[in-house]
Amino acid sequence: MTDSNAVRLVRRLGPFLGLALVLVLFTALEPDRFPTAVNFRTVLTQTVIVGLGAVGMTFVVVSGGIDLSVGSSIALSTIVIARLLRDGASPAAAALAGVVAGGVVGVVNGTLITRLRIAPFIVTLGTLQIVRGTAKYLAGEQKIDAPASWLAGLMSKSPDPSWLVVAPGVWALILLAAFLALVLRRSILGVHTYAIGSNEPTAVLCGIKVDRTKVLIYGLSGLMTGLAGLMQFSRLTVGDPTAATGLELNIIAAVVIGGASLSGGVGGIAGSLVGALVMAFLANGCTLVGVPNYAQEILVGAIIVAVVALDRSKRGA
Amino acid sequence: MRLGTILAVLALLLAACGDSKSPSKRVIAVIPKGTTHEFWKSIHAGALKAAAETGVDIAWKGPPKEDDRDEQIKVVEDSVTRRVAAIVLAPLDEAALATPVAEAAKDKIPVVVIDSDLKGDAHASFVATDNEKGGAMAAERLGTLLGGKGRVLMLRYQVGSASTEKRERGFLAGIAKFPGITMVSDNQYAGATAEAAYAAAENLLQRFPELDGIFCPNESATFGMLRALTSVGRNGKVKFVGFDASAKLAEALKTGDIHGLVLQNPFRMGYLGVKTALAVLDGKPVERRIDTGVAMATPDNMTTPDIAELLNPKLPENVR
Repeated sequence: MTDSNAVRLVRRLGPFLGLALVLVLFTALEPDRFPTAVNFRTVLTQTVIVGLGAVGMTFVVVSGGIDLSVGSSIALSTIVIARLLRDGASPAAAALAGVVAGGVVGVVNGTLITRLRIAPFIVTLGTLQIVRGTAKYLAGEQKIDAPASWLAGLMSKSPDPSWLVVAPGVWALILLAAFLALVLRRSILGVHTYAIGSNEPTAVLCGIKVDRTKVLIYGLSGLMTGLAGLMQFSRLTVGDPTAATGLELNIIAAVVIGGASLSGGVGGIAGSLVGALVMAFLANGCTLVGVPNYAQEILVGAIIVAVVALDRSKRGA
Repeated sequence: MRLGTILAVLALLLAACGDSKSPSKRVIAVIPKGTTHEFWKSIHAGALKAAAETGVDIAWKGPPKEDDRDEQIKVVEDSVTRRVAAIVLAPLDEAALATPVAEAAKDKIPVVVIDSDLKGDAHASFVATDNEKGGAMAAERLGTLLGGKGRVLMLRYQVGSASTEKRERGFLAGIAKFPGITMVSDNQYAGATAEAAYAAAENLLQRFPELDGIFCPNESATFGMLRALTSVGRNGKVKFVGFDASAKLAEALKTGDIHGLVLQNPFRMGYLGVKTALAVLDGKPVERRIDTGVAMATPDNMTTPDIAELLNPKLPENVR
């Protein structure tokens, strides 16, 4: 009993230890430039997009699914927002539409997965292309310039008002992550998510409406992706149909580093956030130290494998 | 224990990969759009030459994912937190990079923009090719080759690409000075890749069996057109002027399949970019717009030292 508790504790703390490791390492290597308020503010802002995506993806992965379409979905959101702004919509309406667009993609994913009984990997591999193509079509195969609006301030490192200290996007990530962590741990939806991911046939037997729950999960994750798209737009100030290509892999990596299992039933919001922070601090630290791009990529890949290997050994499997 | 091993390996890796520079030297960050193209390697070589002359260090870092605006924004931000002395930047997007550049300028880090222009006025100077002049030179060359008369087509590059649109505009203005020349087509686009350009060029050649001259405004369009001309056996028969250089295009210039290549000077862009940044740091006045020049390579002049260097730049070991 105590032994399994200890294992559990290490599993919970694993990602945090990893983050601490990265922080200590780069502080030692770059004591003047790395551990500064300005740099931390920069990295936190850089974490927002992957972080929002990872929070949503955690639900999907815990339920035993996967969503490969999030990168394309982020691009679609930036296009929807930029087009509406260009056509004279209010920034708030454009932003809302961008978030909803992400939610729609999520619901479509969930519906296809449950109705057609096709594996999430295949369905979202398809929607990855479909959504990217749709974004390019809506954009006329080029980026869309949008008139300046307050949306650009969402990801500003010098926020207005200044008592916010960090960008509004960072606050959005923190508050939503806290709320959704509660949802995942305490609500019916959360309990059902774990149940489906642990053992779907049993969940069905227990009377859980698996299909409806899955559509909800993908829809919720889609809304988070849409929000990530809004933040992406805020950063670029243009709608870019090629934005966030391959970002789904970074998001999945953050969730995996955060301790979730791709076979479902295991994972948490806090871990995923820490996973996103690990990746962002790694990229930032490598740039500060002057590590070339190729070495950085090799390093991130090695860390993903190492983290999962470590996790396995702790589980004693 | 495993954790310790990973930590040790990590630290070793980073120590091995990190550049060891003396902290006293000033560091200029040079940020290209990508790192794999020949063009950027020439810019890197130019920047390194300026650095060697002036005793500064160059931090060369492109976006980890090429052609990704967000990744390039991150590199600019990280350069600011790294407190480099100045930034030389080839922006991937004239709007998206404006905010981070303005933030850098606010942090007292001057930014010199090279290659492609940037919106706003936060940057100290814009060092690049005069693309309209390049297009006009191509028109001049083609018009002269054709003796001032004939049917000419231009295969455009891509919608929304500012530099090539200027070349196309310059070419059309220049060709208008030859009243005997008719433009049979100037509304087709090659697209981003050489493959797409090849297909577009094939269709155009199919449509216009009687043709005297062709202009293409960049490397991939020129290469695609060359492939299409060769595949239907019309290479060398149609007067063909292209833009930018590669080993394949230089070869075609030699064999007479291409009759002129407008060449930019990326080495000079990197060199002057760094020099201009240093001038700003030293408080010297700099021009808002610095032209790095264009040259016309022809089968006749391609072996002269100046043109040969532009056609086939000899890059130093450390940028290959």
